[in-house]
Amino acid sequence: MRTLAAAPAVPAALVPTALVPAAVISEQAAQAQTPAARPAGAPVANGKRDAVGEPVARFFTQSQLSALRRLSDLFMPPMNGNPGALEAHVPEFLDFYVGQSPAEHQHLYRSGLDLLNTRATKQFGKPFASLDAKQADAIIKPMMELVPWEFELPKDPAARFIAAANNEIRTATRNSQEWYAATVAAGRRPVGAQQYFFPVDPIYKG
Amino acid sequence: MPKPQFDVLIIGSGHSGGMAANILTQKGLSCLMLDAGPEVDLAKNRVTKQPWDLPFRGMNKPGRLPHVVQANEFNANQWVDEKEVPYTHDPAKPYNWVRVRFLGGRSLFWGRQSFRMSDWEFKAADIDGGGDNWPISHADLDPFYARTEAILRVSGRKEGKPHFPDGNFLDADYGPDSTTVKKITDIANARGYLVSKIRAANGRNGLASSTNLLLPDAVATGKLQIVPNAIVREITVDKNTGRANGANFVDRHSREELHVKAKVVVLAAGSLESTRLLLNSGLANSSGMLGRYVMDQLYGVQVVASVPEARGGNAPEGMMGGTALLPRFKNLKKGEKNSFIKGYGMLIASGGGPTPGYFKEYGEELQKKLDLHAGACMTASIYGERVPRYENRVTINKAVTDAWGIPVLHVDVKDTQNEYNMAKDAADTAEDMLKSAGWDILSKTDKFHPPGYSIHEVGSCRMGDNPKTSVLNKWNQSHDMKNLFVVDGGCFVTCGWQNSTLTIMALAMRASEYLADQMKSRAI
Repeated sequence: MRTLAAAPAVPAALVPTALVPAAVISEQAAQAQTPAARPAGAPVANGKRDAVGEPVARFFTQSQLSALRRLSDLFMPPMNGNPGALEAHVPEFLDFYVGQSPAEHQHLYRSGLDLLNTRATKQFGKPFASLDAKQADAIIKPMMELVPWEFELPKDPAARFIAAANNEIRTATRNSQEWYAATVAAGRRPVGAQQYFFPVDPIYKG
Repeated sequence: MPKPQFDVLIIGSGHSGGMAANILTQKGLSCLMLDAGPEVDLAKNRVTKQPWDLPFRGMNKPGRLPHVVQANEFNANQWVDEKEVPYTHDPAKPYNWVRVRFLGGRSLFWGRQSFRMSDWEFKAADIDGGGDNWPISHADLDPFYARTEAILRVSGRKEGKPHFPDGNFLDADYGPDSTTVKKITDIANARGYLVSKIRAANGRNGLASSTNLLLPDAVATGKLQIVPNAIVREITVDKNTGRANGANFVDRHSREELHVKAKVVVLAAGSLESTRLLLNSGLANSSGMLGRYVMDQLYGVQVVASVPEARGGNAPEGMMGGTALLPRFKNLKKGEKNSFIKGYGMLIASGGGPTPGYFKEYGEELQKKLDLHAGACMTASIYGERVPRYENRVTINKAVTDAWGIPVLHVDVKDTQNEYNMAKDAADTAEDMLKSAGWDILSKTDKFHPPGYSIHEVGSCRMGDNPKTSVLNKWNQSHDMKNLFVVDGGCFVTCGWQNSTLTIMALAMRASEYLADQMKSRAI
């Protein structure tokens, strides 16, 4: 705005060039080329990935993703003024997260979601995504086991999947930008911020 | 231009290397310190971020650090990359080797609990026959402990009990105990168990690191040069004298190979890295003990109880909060009968909450339970001492090399019935005490993490009077080579239940003064 305020009252295009001293012309030209004084090389990127882009699911099949959406909503519905897993785009995030995981974790999710669909079809004649809460509970509850030590999930694959998915759906929701925004809006103190340690001096790998 | 010959080459810059540099330079010796990692500026290299501002929402890139349970997406970059510096183990014998490679090493990040070891650990063989006696006792180390405590600025409460030796403490104001801590203290006292408080290194300006407490004074003498990004490949030996005369190292970035000369070599790279270096150099192993007796503490056993009066956020002021520390309380008397030898310390923390797996619920039902017990929990966890075992060892795996072509360690360490029995006893004891306070047990486990998890790996290079059964003498000096010292935790004979840093530092101080005296009298 400072450059505009400093511009001559008469628009430059209307003033015959010959009538304006050369020094003034060069000053105006310099103003046009440097709208704001900036240090050379100062950063200009000002966007945030998550503010502009919708996540695209690429890892799970359509039926697996539908089951994961239903499961996410059951495990982390909107509660106490906080957003639920669906509002926090957790199924899409987990599609990315699990897609990046070691094969064992990928298999745990794929076979777990398939199992939800298989049991839903067998018991209720429709996929897990179409079950009401009571029907879904009849599928989920028998699969659950207590986890007395968080570092060791159950050995049974179905119970292991449920425990892992419950943890990850809950954490991904609570760690989401949507959760943070709702917390701030409600005047509560957001939790979760930590010291991030930058990669130091990346190593030459040849 | 001819390159200098230093009096002492120090390999590693954590608490032990920093202590060696601090003492040796003040004694007038010229020192060169090499560290495998870069120098970090904590003010520049860290920033506060929200989890959603990280690519994996704070959940870390899956599979990136499979052996570092402590890693999350915030701190992931501070640990050694397992692909860059791998190690191997039998899948049936997991070992969590948790490493940091920066100038200052793990001293930049440690938990700062600072307990002295006692003669129940130094003279363990006399007490329970598990492992061997150290060649030193608490009395030998006492003055060095006191000076180290002054450097670290340790605060603690004096108890006057020989199995939990008091130190040179700053006054600590722990405030009045909460009523729950008072209650569990009374219960433990009634059983004859001492209940004390955490003893913590305050350091200065929030940091109790080699880089702020030890190295600046050493540099100020003008006697110390510190070279980061220098990965030592092997210690070199003079063919004529048979003594160490320096080391070959590789530049971390360029991979240029260089040699440095020194009259004495001091290893302080961390127990297992120092041992790896000695094994790769073919040194200090006439006893065949190098790499053996790898130990660390047993962590993970946990019992969680909920205090009925505190549920639903209804705890009155002063009911919850604070901790009770029970220093080792079993097998203190000779002949005491338990299902295990050695012992464990226990920490009981007031005011935590449950984790979702304690309940067979999900969604709103689960959230109601979590909210009900939030802040109303008493959590007991332990620091267990593992038994030193000849069979628990590291060797060189020549088939695998790190990013600089240096052969890696193969770790062969497993737990035995003593560890399982100790864990079970600890879980039962904690449950019994919490229950007798009238609190409801929410969760109990006698499971524990694989060896290495405590980040207190010690041994593999143990000290002793007999050169046939130990690698170092009581001055941390190689039995085989008079001008070779190992001043990190490698020298431990037993690991104790206590966090190892304070003892490592006191031993490094003692060894360094001995070394300086020996050089002065030309014995080395």
